[in-house]
Amino acid sequence: MLPLRALIAPKKTCGQLAASEPAAMTIMFRYAIWLLLMPPVFSWLGAYFFGWRLGASEPLVLPAATLTLISIGYFIALLFGFISTALISRWMATTYGANRQLGRHFAFITVIGAPLAFASLGHLFPHVFLNVVILIPAMMWSMYLLYSGIATTFDTVPERGILMASALVGWLLVAAVSLLGLSMWLWVAGIGPSLGV
Amino acid sequence: MSAVLEQGVIDRSVAVPDTYYDKVVLRLVQFSIVWAIVAMGAGVYISAELLWPWLDFGQPWLSFGRLRPLHTNGVIFGFGVSALMATAFYSVQRTSHVSLFAPRLAWIVCYGWQLTVLLGGLSLLGGWTSSKEYAELEWPFDIAIALLWVSFGIVFFGTLARRRIRPIYISNWFYGGLIIVIAMLHIVNNLALPVTLDKSYSLYAGAQDAVVQWWYGHNAVGFLLTGGFLGMVYYFLPKQAGRPIWSYRLSIVAFWAFVYTYIWAGPHHLHYSAIPEWVQSLGMVMSIILLAPSWATLINGIMTVSGAWQKLRTDPALKFIVLALAFYGLATFEGPMMAIRSVNVVSHFTDWTIGHVHSGALGWNAMITYGTFYFLLPRMAGRALYSTSLANLHFWLALAGTMLYIMSMWAAGVSQGLLWLNLDETGELRFNFTDIMAGMAPYYGLRLLAGLIFLLGTCLMAWNLFMTIRGRDPVEVTAPDVDPLYEVKR
Repeated sequence: MLPLRALIAPKKTCGQLAASEPAAMTIMFRYAIWLLLMPPVFSWLGAYFFGWRLGASEPLVLPAATLTLISIGYFIALLFGFISTALISRWMATTYGANRQLGRHFAFITVIGAPLAFASLGHLFPHVFLNVVILIPAMMWSMYLLYSGIATTFDTVPERGILMASALVGWLLVAAVSLLGLSMWLWVAGIGPSLGV
Repeated sequence: MSAVLEQGVIDRSVAVPDTYYDKVVLRLVQFSIVWAIVAMGAGVYISAELLWPWLDFGQPWLSFGRLRPLHTNGVIFGFGVSALMATAFYSVQRTSHVSLFAPRLAWIVCYGWQLTVLLGGLSLLGGWTSSKEYAELEWPFDIAIALLWVSFGIVFFGTLARRRIRPIYISNWFYGGLIIVIAMLHIVNNLALPVTLDKSYSLYAGAQDAVVQWWYGHNAVGFLLTGGFLGMVYYFLPKQAGRPIWSYRLSIVAFWAFVYTYIWAGPHHLHYSAIPEWVQSLGMVMSIILLAPSWATLINGIMTVSGAWQKLRTDPALKFIVLALAFYGLATFEGPMMAIRSVNVVSHFTDWTIGHVHSGALGWNAMITYGTFYFLLPRMAGRALYSTSLANLHFWLALAGTMLYIMSMWAAGVSQGLLWLNLDETGELRFNFTDIMAGMAPYYGLRLLAGLIFLLGTCLMAWNLFMTIRGRDPVEVTAPDVDPLYEVKR
């Protein structure tokens, strides 16, 4: 099981990835899609049973239909983020002297995204601060996987790997903030909680 | 040679090569580091006050309202501007192949600026304020700043005018833009009628005052915190990478597009306010267009550094530059996105804005400055950095502090925006403002921790650089010969 193996033995997993030529669609449907489904599903369940706990005295409870719309939007955003990150990683590979085999980029993004996907278990109880506390170490572990595994996985020298990883961090930060902006835009458009705007 | 320098006049009939004048550069770097510690320390203190309000001990001068402008003015004008002056003086000499013009005036600028920031900071603690954000200082300081800024311009453009090489290198365009535009913004925004020594009233009223203020405020971000620091990048990044900028043509296009676009973006600070809607829309559209020149520089920086990967083995400074570029990319994307009215309606007045500002201030401005200082000081001292391990530790502390800061503010900001605007079944606001703010305490705790981590890293850098330069004067460097093809014939 690639994502779990990567959590426990990242260097060995990246070494195995470097020795293989996985097909992008195999990685997508065998591993990535399930990881991508976890956050929206957990988010739906948590919000339905407990409500969003944002720090105010009472939780924010939304109807099931609204939650479903939000979760579908969440899944589409994650799917787009995953595929675009893999493609951008492949696009960057030429600059950093890295391997361009598409499946390997899909696999590597799956590996570095796995801690965040597993940390989304925190969405089952959607207390925002609790989720922040869970997601910060998960994100740190993801960044460790990114920086430590990128050179091995893509057959490049460590220094070029660091530069490529930093460029990917830049892209991922932009993707994260885009997710926030997109959420605001959807909420204001009426998909989400009832806002007085 | 020194007599020649003191007069600021070079006799070109004598074939004596110029020696760069770096003493004032070193002093400005030292002041910049001191202000970084003081002003970031003030930031940490006020973040603690948001958790424990009793930390003001009932003293007005220790209250959040007075310490907050001290923090912002100290960081921007003390730390940031001192660093910009230092790097502008350093790089303009080297890109012009002449020594600094009017070095005595440069010393007046150096010490005059520090005195103004110091006394201005004390006046803020004393309650003097114009109440304009990032322009809080009262009229006596505004006049002093204008005079010193023009003097800064005389030294910079005087050096440039005496250059021995025909092309004006791109970093000088950005520094020049910084000097001219900030002078214009500062003078226009601070036009006021003084009534006493410590109080004046703006010449503008109501919504006009707001428009002028945010024309100033956003372009201070643009031309000082972005344009000025891009000048730093365009000189020091190729130096550190040991290779020319990836695309010089792209840098020129980015400069002019940046200058043209940025000046319109200010009204995005006034969405849903009393200013005309078309002005708000114009500000929003120009903010989005701004992404193109901002990212042109980002691409130029990334591509320049991508060919210098061998340097990462030996140069701790380069890591700061690489990371600064990543945060520059984030901040210059996040800004235009938050300028979109349907995003801004939720994000405005929340801590998301504070997070955005700090992704730029910590991730971009501070990191690029730290990287530059780690490059500059060992060369000025003529010996290796005191401790590479400390610099590496500083890098990880700076990264951890910045990430923790922006993540906590993202979460707090989105929660605030959502809760403040949320309606119940009757169409009334569902949540009480004070309850919501009380619920933010855990995020403020994380932010305090983030600030402490970042400040600790800055203190380590100060110690490292102090030990590097201790007991040394700047190494004398002589201007190299100019390629006859590009030489200015006099």
